[in-house]
Amino acid sequence: MDLSKYAALFLAESREHLNACNGSLLEWERAPTSLEPVDRLFRAIHTIKGMAATMGYAGVAQLAHAAENLLDAIRHNRVSADPAIFQLLFRVVDTLGGAVEAADGTEQAADADLIAELNAAALASQGTRTRAEANPESDDSQALPTSPPIPESKLRRATDAPRSRPVQVVISRGAAMRGARAALVLRRAEAFGAVSGVQPPLAQLERDEFDGRFFFRLQSERPEQEIEATLMAVGEVQSVQFEEPALGGDAGGPRRQIRVDLRRLDALMKQVGELVVAKNRLAALSTEAGDAALIELSGRISRLVSSMQAEVLASRMTPVGEVFERFPRLARDLSRELGKQIRFDMEGEEIELDRSILDEIGDPLLHLIRNAADHGIEPPDQRVAAGKSSEGRILLSAARERNTVALRVTDDGRGIDRARILAQAHREGVAADEVDTLTDDLLVRVLARPGFSTAGTISGVSGRGVGVDVAMTRVRALGGTLEVRTELGRGSTFLIRVPLTLAIVRALLAEAGGERYAVPLAYVAETVEFDRRAVTSVRGRETLVVRDQVIPTVHLQDLVSTRKASRSARQPTVILEVGQRRTALVVDALLGQQDIVVEPFDAPRGLPPFIGGATILADGKPALILDAAALL
Amino acid sequence: MNQTVLVCDDAIFMRTMISDILSQAGFEVVGEAESGLQAVEKYRSLKPDLVTMDIVMPDMGGIEAVREICKNHPEAKILMCSAMGQQALVVEAIQAGAKDFVVKPFQPSRVLEAVQRVLA
Repeated sequence: MDLSKYAALFLAESREHLNACNGSLLEWERAPTSLEPVDRLFRAIHTIKGMAATMGYAGVAQLAHAAENLLDAIRHNRVSADPAIFQLLFRVVDTLGGAVEAADGTEQAADADLIAELNAAALASQGTRTRAEANPESDDSQALPTSPPIPESKLRRATDAPRSRPVQVVISRGAAMRGARAALVLRRAEAFGAVSGVQPPLAQLERDEFDGRFFFRLQSERPEQEIEATLMAVGEVQSVQFEEPALGGDAGGPRRQIRVDLRRLDALMKQVGELVVAKNRLAALSTEAGDAALIELSGRISRLVSSMQAEVLASRMTPVGEVFERFPRLARDLSRELGKQIRFDMEGEEIELDRSILDEIGDPLLHLIRNAADHGIEPPDQRVAAGKSSEGRILLSAARERNTVALRVTDDGRGIDRARILAQAHREGVAADEVDTLTDDLLVRVLARPGFSTAGTISGVSGRGVGVDVAMTRVRALGGTLEVRTELGRGSTFLIRVPLTLAIVRALLAEAGGERYAVPLAYVAETVEFDRRAVTSVRGRETLVVRDQVIPTVHLQDLVSTRKASRSARQPTVILEVGQRRTALVVDALLGQQDIVVEPFDAPRGLPPFIGGATILADGKPALILDAAALL
Repeated sequence: MNQTVLVCDDAIFMRTMISDILSQAGFEVVGEAESGLQAVEKYRSLKPDLVTMDIVMPDMGGIEAVREICKNHPEAKILMCSAMGQQALVVEAIQAGAKDFVVKPFQPSRVLEAVQRVLA
């Protein structure tokens, strides 16, 4: 590869980093116990090392590497920073500056003397480390007086999950409902620790689309024999092995990975999407034609496309931990800025989401975490006065729930004062005067009003409402929902629920007023028949009683046409479910299920909010996608 | 002392059959329920060692009943009784806290194996 065209970029960027290095060094020298400059310095040197190595500038890379070793020793309290070290590091930065300017691809000898000095300085640490290792408990206490530990590395250590081990399970041949058996195994495994990376995915297991063999990763330090015995006891389990799954012919070998440009995956995804539409159309046409050979071929193509779609989707799945990574630092900065004590914990970092959703979810989470730190967690004195520990806690967690991923930001702070919000909602005309209780649903709608803020003083961090507004907009754009649970004095939880993947969703097709609509299955609880006799009126609203549950009804035709729907005695009805809320959507006819490709959609002005997108159906005609959350 | 069982199914036929299988194996059927609601109530009052639970029942289905029972008694040992084609529901029941399942038509030996596993 011709690297010359990157030389200018390398130079410009290295200069920038070296400038920053000088700044960090100065700052550090003024306050030798402060920790951030060391970190910044380490990162800058590390970046230069990586770039130089890529460019083939071995001399620069070697010097940077030696400097990095020394900085790492300092970061880990193996060496303490003294004037000689500062002097040495200033010289390194100067020398690196010269080397960077001179680097032109010809072999440049590294400054051997300087590297030797760096190694010697770092070596002083080796002795310390050996002593520390001999007596591990005294490690921290010995090092503390000279240079306190860096909170971030502490944090990382605290969230370091136990080892995640591969588990391969085979369900016995002849076992009934092998998928459900697999679910039992997973459930039992969860008692040992977090389960992730289930292959094939649970939805596929549920449909029995596997040969009895499945795989997952288990975060647990328990002995293998114990795990094996427990999983075997589930029954109908043929074997439990702690091995990576065999990929193709590469039986039992380690997983091999390559990096792929995300745009390629996007293009692949789009094409598979179109293939799905074509496949559906082919299936419809071949059924129409009634040709047995054609139907068989179409069925085969259909299965192939389905498994291809599953593979493409799987290749896009990324652990949410990638987005979570930056939040511990954010929380730490916030707690300093706000003068509060905040403990920040994370759970479920291994839960996977489609890359495109993951990219969008960072901002909403950021707003919610800021809100929690700024408005949720009280200052230490207030907490103590309220009988709580002075340290507040924010928990960011991810969990797989059916076909969605639930992301929760929970704080144990003051909670939201409903009376105050309600008063303000009345003043601003958001809530009708007769509304006298603020349910969680109404609360989140009020909070998400653009510009709605109850913060007595708007701090630099956030004004409650603005964050919720932004979060709500982004989450809804992803086809997700935002919910809130709050208890005065006890804390709040904001829950973001997003689909596992965008692009292709399984949907229920319904007809109303002569038009067809697609309802994403993730939000369909069940379908029932609308029965006149089961209709009651609750506070003037038509409701349907389904197995003792009272569910408000919505007639789709009333929403989409000016003509009032005729109320036939019996009509198909879709029970929509988002979180705890349900609505009975009455339609004219149900037309079965289909995989639909969600087309990017620029909503025209005046489009009702319950239309979430558009799609092309198997017969080549368009249909509108209903946004379940907006119908509730 | 014999271990106690609560049998939940809306069909008398199924309740009778399951009760027979279990009592012949030495269990004591202490109660029967014909709806999810009844199952929850009877679990509360009887605290049986084992519950067999049909999935489709009037007045709260079996899955909701499992959820309801496990909410207050996570240690409850519930065996789902399902029919072919209900795999997704069985998975849901498992996630709600059911400990095992059997598939209709029942073979006594399979039912007892599952019961043994649940009580182990």
